[in-house]
Formats: sequence, C-alpha cells, structure tokens
Amino acid sequence: MSSSTCLRRFAKSSLERAVQPSIASRSLISPQASCFSTSAPRHALPTLAKASKGPPPKKGSTLILKKKKAPAKAAGRPPAPGDRKAMRKRIVLSNNNALEVAGLQDLKETDALSGISEGQVKGLPEDVVDALRAMEAFKTNQGWKLFRRPATLIRKETTELAGLLKQAEEEKKTVRRVFIGDRMSGKSTLLLQSLSMGFLRNWVVINLPEAYDIVNAHTEYKPLPGSHPTQYTQDVYTANFLSQIVKANKSILENTQITTNPSLPLPLPAKASLKQLAELGIANVETSWPVFVALWKELTQPGLPPVMLALDGLAHAMRNSEYLSAQVKPIHAHDLTIIRHFVDHLSGKATLPNGGAILAATTSSNNPRVPAFEFSMQVAEAKRYHPDNIPQWNPYKNVDQRVIECLKDVEVLKLNGLSKEEARSIMEYYAASGMLRAKVDDKFVTEKWSLAGMGNIGELERAAVRLRI
Amino acid sequence: MVFIFGINFPEQTLVKRSLETFYGIGPKVSRGIMARFHIFPWAKVGSLKNAQVLDLTAELSNMKIENDLRREVQDNIRRLKDMGTYRGRRHAMGLPVRGQRTRSQIKTARKLNKIERGGFGRA
Repeated sequence: MSSSTCLRRFAKSSLERAVQPSIASRSLISPQASCFSTSAPRHALPTLAKASKGPPPKKGSTLILKKKKAPAKAAGRPPAPGDRKAMRKRIVLSNNNALEVAGLQDLKETDALSGISEGQVKGLPEDVVDALRAMEAFKTNQGWKLFRRPATLIRKETTELAGLLKQAEEEKKTVRRVFIGDRMSGKSTLLLQSLSMGFLRNWVVINLPEAYDIVNAHTEYKPLPGSHPTQYTQDVYTANFLSQIVKANKSILENTQITTNPSLPLPLPAKASLKQLAELGIANVETSWPVFVALWKELTQPGLPPVMLALDGLAHAMRNSEYLSAQVKPIHAHDLTIIRHFVDHLSGKATLPNGGAILAATTSSNNPRVPAFEFSMQVAEAKRYHPDNIPQWNPYKNVDQRVIECLKDVEVLKLNGLSKEEARSIMEYYAASGMLRAKVDDKFVTEKWSLAGMGNIGELERAAVRLRI
Repeated sequence: MVFIFGINFPEQTLVKRSLETFYGIGPKVSRGIMARFHIFPWAKVGSLKNAQVLDLTAELSNMKIENDLRREVQDNIRRLKDMGTYRGRRHAMGLPVRGQRTRSQIKTARKLNKIERGGFGRA
C-alpha cells in the first residue's frame, strides 16, 4: 500500500515542476534539480558564461578554490637577530612590585653548612647571586622573577647535603651525589643551593649548567690528538666555560699562583696566577682544553680549597650525542672531553685530593629516554631506600655498559615533597612578599599542600603564587 | 663571502645548506661530508677555517656532482630513448615510466621525466 502512495506523490511532484518552469525562469530563481525530472533545468535560462581568468588548471594539479590572501603584515619591525633568544634566556631575579620581606636573613658563611636554619627561608647574598648568575645556575622557568630578591627555603634535603659538604670539607673526602625526584621537586634548586653553599665556604665552584647544551651539537668540535679511542674537544664551549669559572671564582683564582709547570702551546708569564692561565684559554680558543686540564691540575694541588663540580640534566650525558664521528657514527657523550671529565669524577675514577663534591641533577622536563641510566638510578635509589628489593636488568636486552659502569656505585639523594612545616614557612614568605594574599593558617597550608601533590615545591609555588583562581 | 667549490656563499649561510645547493648533494651526503671534516651541523660558512674550506672543496671536486652527474643522468635517459625502449619514450613524453596510472597525480613525472633532466646547470 505504502509503495503506491509514494508513486502517486512522485507523479504529483513532477507535474508541479512541469507547470512551474516558466515562472521560475522569469523570476530568475535558480531551478532546483530533481532526481526524477530534468525538464526544469532544461527550461532554465542559459547561464552566463563566466569571465574566464587565465587557462584552466593544468591537468593533475590541485584546484584551488579559495582566493589567496596576502599574509597580514606585522606591525612594526621584527626583533633584531638574537633578540628573541636573549629575551627567552633572560634571567630576572627581582620584582619591584613584590614587597621586601622584613625578617629575611641572608645565608651566612658560618651557618651555611650547619643544620640550624632548616625549615627557614634564607636570602642569597649579593656576591653569591652574582657568582651564580655567572655560572648560569638560575633557570628561566624558576620563580625568581616573582620576588624582591633571590631567597630559598632550606629544606630537609638541603640540610642533609650541607652535612655531607661539611664532612667533605673537614675530612677532605669527595662527596658524589645525584639528585633525583619528581618534576618540579626542586632538583635544580638544590643544585643551586649547594653551589651557593660552596661559594659561601670559599670553595672552588664549577658548574656545567646544562648537559644538553654540551651534547646537542651546537658548538664546534674536533678530535683530541693522541687520544685512543678518539675523544672530542669542544673549544668554543670550553673557552666559554673557562670564562664562567673565572667570573665566578675570581678571588681564589687571582690569589693562587701556578705551582706545576704545565706544558701549553702558548707561553705563560713566570709566576702567573690561575686567572691568567684561564684567560690564556679564553683568548686562544683552540688551546682552551689543554688550559682547562692544566687549571684542574692546579686546583687539585694540596693546600687549595675543596672543589665543587656540578652538572644539571645528567641523562643527556649518558647517551649518544648529536655529534658525528668521521665514520658518520654518533659520538657517545662520554667521548666528549668535558663530559668525560665530569663522568670520571662522578664514577669515582678520579678523586679530589682536597676534598669536595661532585653533584649532578637529573631533569624531568627535557628528559631523554636512556634505559641504562634510568635503570642505574632505580638501582641506586633501591640501594639507599629499600635495599631488600634491588631491580635486575633484563638479561635479554642490550645495555649501554659504559653508563652502567659509570653509575655503578653512585649514590642518590631523592627529593620528596615538602613537609607541612616547610610548606608553611615558604608560604609565609610568599605572603610576606605580597605575592600571596591569603591568611596562611593550617587549613590553607594543608589545602595547598595537598593540591601540590603532597608538597611538591614547584606545584606549591604554582598553586599559591602563580595561579590566580 | 666564502668560496666553496667555485661558488661564493654569504658568511651567515649554514654549511649544510650551502653544500646542498650542489646538484647531487642532499641531506644524507652533506651530513657525511660534514662529519668527515668534523663540522658541526649548525656551523655557518663564515666560521669555517681556511683549511676546512679547502678540504671541502677538495672533497667536492672528487665527487661526481653538478654537471658531471647531470650529464650521466641525461646520458642514461638518452640511451634508453635511442634504443627505442618504452622507458625512453615515456621519459621523452614526460609521463610516468614505471607503469603508474596516468589518470591523475602525475605531477612528479611531468616535472622530472624529460631528456634534459636536472636542467643545464647553474646560471
């Protein structure tokens, strides 16, 4: 039954169309095509030929239906070459809109390595800030720009490290530690704190700010003559590194004279200071590596202060670099002389006769996957925190043996979340700086502490200062 | 301006980029050449030492690139055509050579398949 109704309707609709066309054509309404009748379109007026614009599109080429728009011109001039990068890398350590914190005390030489200031926020003295800046210890993503002047919270881990440094200073031991922890748990900041403790105690402080910058093949490299297997020096990077060392440790290097007789390709004045030695390498880029080796030898002579050597982003130093050897094979980061120097000290192959510390921080923000490194860190963590459950490497998988060897007996320091007392102390500092407008009471602290994933300090800062909900 | 293999390059050009302007050198070959002389991937032409520039020029002059390579490719195509093969004919007509359909999408063939493939060299 229904089929007959449908047929009747079709017939009707085609009839209507047959009546309409003349009206439709007069009123210039474009005829609607019907699938059942072609009469309406046939009765329509012939469409006007389009004004032809050039030849039809070439066969096989894509038909472009949209008109091309001229790209919008940016107002004003684009920044000069290098400006964007300078902006990106700019370190701002002060905020004029933040209040000066009344009772803020500086970290002092006498109590830097003692545990008495645990749980307090301490300001960094100006000369230390200058030295840290020269060493590129401040990172752009840290919250220094929010406060009047740089200050840090002396947390439990800082005190633990200070104890170790004190021991190293007194017993002339070499402390080797790798800082591990979650993202934004304060690993780089702990590195910065230890550097500042080193500066305060008049150590020789040397910092490699980013391992990634050493291995990402953005600076010149060349093979080190006479090395087997071949190692590679990075002259431009090393020269810059030397200048950072000189800037940060000016007084020590100026007041220490050369005692060994280094054989350098360039002449050195008699009774030269270490600063002069380093400047030789800065001025003559191609001699920078031999100069660094000579400088290190000088610094490890007896009677000199302890040395602190630090590196951030350790995982990058544990894999193939972006550099290529002459055989077009990737160069392992351990074959780059600077990394090799650090890694030898970290693994304990080389020691510091005057005592000192070799510190490294892992990173979670720009973190490459390096299975051997991750495994070594897991083992080191297990050895320290739960020695009854040490993981085993899957014997059916290849492993980078150099990494495993190097991190075999390295110790880790794990950064956990802050305790509630520490969180309260830092939040009081936020409030005193005027950056947190709330009453800091137990309820508020607990709320933010939980929001920050049990007191992860980066998240805490984010929740309390940066986010405005 | 730095001369590499008889061509002048502005100092701020990347070495990689300047090498890849030569016919017959692409990303892989340029990578190999630069690795051989320990030039890092982001090096600019202006930062090369004189010895490195000479090395590069020497290396390039030993390679079959530019007009020599063009001539070889063109000779190969011409040989096919002179023998009267199907492949030669398709090259001459600017159509796909290896049995692809020609109803659509033959832009690459139109661009590349010709007797004088690769052009006539630098202006």
